[in-house]
Amino acid sequence: MSDAKTVVAKLVAKFPSLTGRVNAQRATRVWVEVDRQAFAGVFHFLVKDLEFSNLCMITGLDEGADLGFIYHLARNGGLMANVKTRCPKEESMQTITPTFPGGGIYERELMDLFGARIAGLPEGRNYPLPDNWPKGEHPLLKDWKPREKGAQDA
Amino acid sequence: MPDKERIVRVPIGPQHPALKEPESFMVDLQGEKISAVTLRLGYNHRGIEKGCEERTYVQDVYLVERVCGICSQSHSTAFVQAVEEIAGLELPRRAAYIRTLIAELERVHSHLLWLGVAGHEIGFDTLLMYTWRDRELVMDLLAELTGNRVHYGLNTVGGVRRDISPEQVPSILKVVDALEDRTKYYIELAMTEETLAQRLSGIGKLSKEDAVLLGAVGPTARASGVDRDTRRDDPYAAYGELEFQVVTDDRCDVFGRTVVRLGELMQTYSMIRQLVKQMPDGPITVKAPLRIPAGEAVSRYEAPRGEDVHYVKANGTDKPERVKIRAPTMANTQSVAKMLEDGYLADLPIVVAAIDPCFSCTDRMIAVKTHEDARTVGWEELVQYGVRWYRERGVDVSKIKMRGDSTA
Amino acid sequence: MVRWGQRKSPWILHFNTGACNACDIEIIAALTPRFDLERFGVLLKGTPRHCDIMACSGPVTRQIESRLVRIYEQVPEPKLVVAVGSCATSGGVFNGLYNVKSGIDQVIPVAAYIPGCPASPQAIIDGFAKLLKTLEEGK
Repeated sequence: MSDAKTVVAKLVAKFPSLTGRVNAQRATRVWVEVDRQAFAGVFHFLVKDLEFSNLCMITGLDEGADLGFIYHLARNGGLMANVKTRCPKEESMQTITPTFPGGGIYERELMDLFGARIAGLPEGRNYPLPDNWPKGEHPLLKDWKPREKGAQDA
Repeated sequence: MPDKERIVRVPIGPQHPALKEPESFMVDLQGEKISAVTLRLGYNHRGIEKGCEERTYVQDVYLVERVCGICSQSHSTAFVQAVEEIAGLELPRRAAYIRTLIAELERVHSHLLWLGVAGHEIGFDTLLMYTWRDRELVMDLLAELTGNRVHYGLNTVGGVRRDISPEQVPSILKVVDALEDRTKYYIELAMTEETLAQRLSGIGKLSKEDAVLLGAVGPTARASGVDRDTRRDDPYAAYGELEFQVVTDDRCDVFGRTVVRLGELMQTYSMIRQLVKQMPDGPITVKAPLRIPAGEAVSRYEAPRGEDVHYVKANGTDKPERVKIRAPTMANTQSVAKMLEDGYLADLPIVVAAIDPCFSCTDRMIAVKTHEDARTVGWEELVQYGVRWYRERGVDVSKIKMRGDSTA
Repeated sequence: MVRWGQRKSPWILHFNTGACNACDIEIIAALTPRFDLERFGVLLKGTPRHCDIMACSGPVTRQIESRLVRIYEQVPEPKLVVAVGSCATSGGVFNGLYNVKSGIDQVIPVAAYIPGCPASPQAIIDGFAKLLKTLEEGK
């Protein structure tokens, strides 16, 4: 059984509610779709038990009433586990920085560009928008358009 | 320069002639040692990901290529690979080989560039002049093969836009031979010049544990003994058909990062010869639809600076739903503060330069805080401070005599 | 024009306003032995207060805009700005993206434009040579 298929099998064995929501897209890609309530458990299982010791990045998605989050994990040998979840825009996801201290920058990016709320993040500068960027304007939201072509004026 | 008794906050940047890119560091000094560092990024943020959603896939190939003016092939390839995966396209083998050839030539120009910049940051400008002159050999070759020195416009969804002709092969091999010879000399220089070893060793330390914990990638991670390389671990393009070693080192310092890049150059020359020798015949492109069916994919690529990750989500139209890019420098900046901690201010320029920072990749976007006792230090001023600091301690790399002319 | 006369070599300040780097590298490459911009007497200097010409790359990101203006103001008269590359000229491929002004001349006056993506070292040298000739001729 390939690496990817083994991981799929282990996930479903440990979390039966994931049946039908995990697949091996190819030899080095596993995709997992999980509800927010079950996210932490699945995430920690992948990181601690299945040794996905690398967080490549976190992708944000505007899904209307919710924000989508994809945590792109990887481990030695090349296998990736992409864990998708979603959260209503006015609610918070918990920070993953206790596990991945370097991961805060990906969370700050979501906060700036999508208005995501991340609970528990240590204090720090925002990233990547400029200091004079107007509050409440999150450019990667689907309905966000600059007021004029090019940079908005302060 | 710094006061010995108090903690002095020294904002540095954002205009750095030597580094060419705007970023900002706030450094807390105790005497001449750095006790804390905060990094302020964002000066290069342009809004590329949003731009990708508003443009077609074809237009996006040209936009994404320009995330970075050094590793443009990296970003362009990572992007089209994700799109090709979603669309279920099978890349012709010859196209895979050509992409890989340009990718490895890019690694050559990037690592030689780095060697020169590193030289400048420690006051060894002769090295900058020699390495950038050598680098011109590969720039000319890239221009001959693709039509441009950078931003090659080589990739398209489904393959490559230009073929390699048999007449070009001797040029490729000639450049590789010449640069391999020069690289051997640089390796000899690194291994035998005491002053250079003294200047680069024991600084910017990053333990293997920290490298993994903080998510370091590329030569930065490999110089801390982390055995990861996307080309071997998650092969793409033609890498699955090539023989090569992943170069690691256990020094965990700036000297280690130098050794790793030099070793990678040697591996790359071998790979280029294999690519040219084994290049299969056949088409260079496969027909790709303008509208990409709904789906998503993650593409990974080993850029000169490390792992580059692209996520693409398609929605059945001719424009992507979402494009997310994580360039290698973004991963490596998380380790920089650690590397600088408890080190000397004099070492800041070379320690930062040793991750081969491409803030352009990172920001695809330095607030100078005023404190009592704070001074803004220009980057060049800091570089010169470092050069003087070491000279006062008997380490003067500008005195190193370099051998002869390139074979060009 | 007293300063031009006093100094045989114009001192250049290179400022990146959010570029991809390609032009910046080509500017530095123009100073390396193969291209040798220095034979025209051009020297790259690190500080605005001593420079004659600002060579700017990049489309001007929002974050860097006020710094660009501040640096420009620190350069003593007479001063000239050269926009190096397509992005500095008009925003280039980044034209219209939400965080860029789309060109140096949207922010400060520009005397010369050197096109290209990136502007090649030859184009850069050609551009500077033409500009210097114009200055010599007192235009």
